Amino acid sequence: MAPTGQASRPRAVDPDEGSLRRWWAEIRQHDTHVGVLFILPFLVACLVFMVYPVVQVVRMSFYYRNPLRPDQWQFIGLDNFRAIFGDELFWDSFYQATIWTTSSIVLQALLGVAFALLLHYPLRGINVFRGLLLFPYIVPTAVIALMWSWIFNPEIGVLNHVLMTLGIIDENIYWFSTPNMAMGSTIALSVWKYTPFVVICVLAKLQTIPLELYDAARVDGAGPLRRFRDVTLPNLAEVLMVVVVFRTIWTFNKFEEIYLLTKGGPGTSTFNLAIYSFEQSIANLKLGVGAATGVVMTAMLLAGSILYLRVMRFGQED
Amino acid sequence: MSIRVQRDWGEIVRRAVRYVVLGAVTFVVCFPLIWALLTSIKPTGEIFTSPPTWLPKELVVEHYSALIHGKPMYFESGSDYTPDTSPTQHFLSWFFNSVVVAFGAAFISVAIATLAAYSLTRFRYHGRRVIPYLSLLGYMMPPIVLVFPLFLVIVDLGIANSLWSLVFGYVSITMPFCTWLLWAFFRGLPVEIEEAGLIDGASRFQVFYQIVLPSALPGIIAAVIFSVIVAWNDYLFARIFINSVQNLTLTVGVMHFFEGVHVNWGLMMASAVLMTLPLAALFMFFQRHLVAGFGAGGVKG
Repeated sequence: MAPTGQASRPRAVDPDEGSLRRWWAEIRQHDTHVGVLFILPFLVACLVFMVYPVVQVVRMSFYYRNPLRPDQWQFIGLDNFRAIFGDELFWDSFYQATIWTTSSIVLQALLGVAFALLLHYPLRGINVFRGLLLFPYIVPTAVIALMWSWIFNPEIGVLNHVLMTLGIIDENIYWFSTPNMAMGSTIALSVWKYTPFVVICVLAKLQTIPLELYDAARVDGAGPLRRFRDVTLPNLAEVLMVVVVFRTIWTFNKFEEIYLLTKGGPGTSTFNLAIYSFEQSIANLKLGVGAATGVVMTAMLLAGSILYLRVMRFGQED
Repeated sequence: MSIRVQRDWGEIVRRAVRYVVLGAVTFVVCFPLIWALLTSIKPTGEIFTSPPTWLPKELVVEHYSALIHGKPMYFESGSDYTPDTSPTQHFLSWFFNSVVVAFGAAFISVAIATLAAYSLTRFRYHGRRVIPYLSLLGYMMPPIVLVFPLFLVIVDLGIANSLWSLVFGYVSITMPFCTWLLWAFFRGLPVEIEEAGLIDGASRFQVFYQIVLPSALPGIIAAVIFSVIVAWNDYLFARIFINSVQNLTLTVGVMHFFEGVHVNWGLMMASAVLMTLPLAALFMFFQRHLVAGFGAGGVKG
């Protein structure tokens, strides 16, 4: 979309065309002006679609606001925050989100490293396996929710059938209507979808580890396990750290992954903070309470991001 | 790729074991997709048999044709069947909407992000080091926090319940990430050719158009794909921003298939397959770009 070189500008209908043209020439003369011109759309979009909404959320969290009665804005100070911190459901959601996040991340990291190691080994046709194992990452969450409700269906789902055939269970498990199993199904969804993210990151790093390190370790008599522990793992430490921080921040705040599968249920047993905020805003029509939850989520996210920047040693390079 | 070419049996067995393990893992991982595909081509009667048949005894396209032709087969068994409310008849327009908003948003956010990334890496002004990290923060913002205030902005702009609202909504999610990704990418591009071009008398715009854009193409493709995936995946924004059934996108639309007394699993799996296909095609063609994009943006360095 950038105007090129001497191309005439399309919107030259301004009566003050001469000065516009001078302005244009001036911009092209001063290099810095071009830079500012290029960053301008970004800044405007940021202002309208990011900064302003964030400011609005913070503001809304101090107000009573009912979406059905937009004329009623009432400043109520910290009442929304008092409300959520005094709400048992908020703490339940926090606790459940922690369980959901921790289990998902641990499984994603373990499986991710394992898959990456499997895929790193050069075999003929390895690219096909790579493609297939990375594919779940791009499958829409709504599609996974559809597939999950079919596969985990208690009466005619294939999972119960397989578990029954293998003799692991004696009677059908009601995956979505018992709290623990519902949590398990959502964790399975998150692990299925996001393990490829870990695989891609770890795989990229694995390919940069110099092979000489392995040869040296082999000469020193290290077996495969020792080589993994003493060569691979230390080299992966940094990327794993980053991936875990990223994934933790994202997983903690995920909405669709739980909502589309269980709607937070049965009861409120798979609520996390995102669903709590959604339900407060939509079902209870308390936009202020929802916004306050959002502010708390953002504060936690900031803490996590600062941790990330620390890890990446922000500002110490170039 | 330094494989010792030895004909020892240990190596061959080890390879065979690796293939078996890889095959088994891949099968388990891909099973949900395979199962969805198999279910979608079984006749409705066969879907409900217990124990399930692994491979369909009879291949049918009834579920796909119902989605494409909008046959109201979904509510057939319900008592409150009304022909106008069948979700299947909207499937194609939902599909079209999804395509429009996903590619529209991707185009806008990548265009903005490319300009921004170029500016941030080639010019000197205050704040040019902080902006990428701020946009990373913006990317980390959970959509649930932004969705309600964004909706107010959308209402103020007078574009509520239109596809534009979704385009802008998705730009607000994808643009920060694209900027971050392309910023990292542009930093890795050599400046020397551009400087040579500038010294030879080309203008900044010529340099940008003729030198920078072509060499940044892999990064740009990666950013486009990521944006399309994010927009195609979204449920929340479409759920909040859109009121009328025709303007929904696929993710919100297909959830209507759950309503009613009788769930038609064949239809649901067919729509799951159709929803995944466009992304699968993108993924197949651009897998390498996707991985490269991860290297540049997902994890720095």
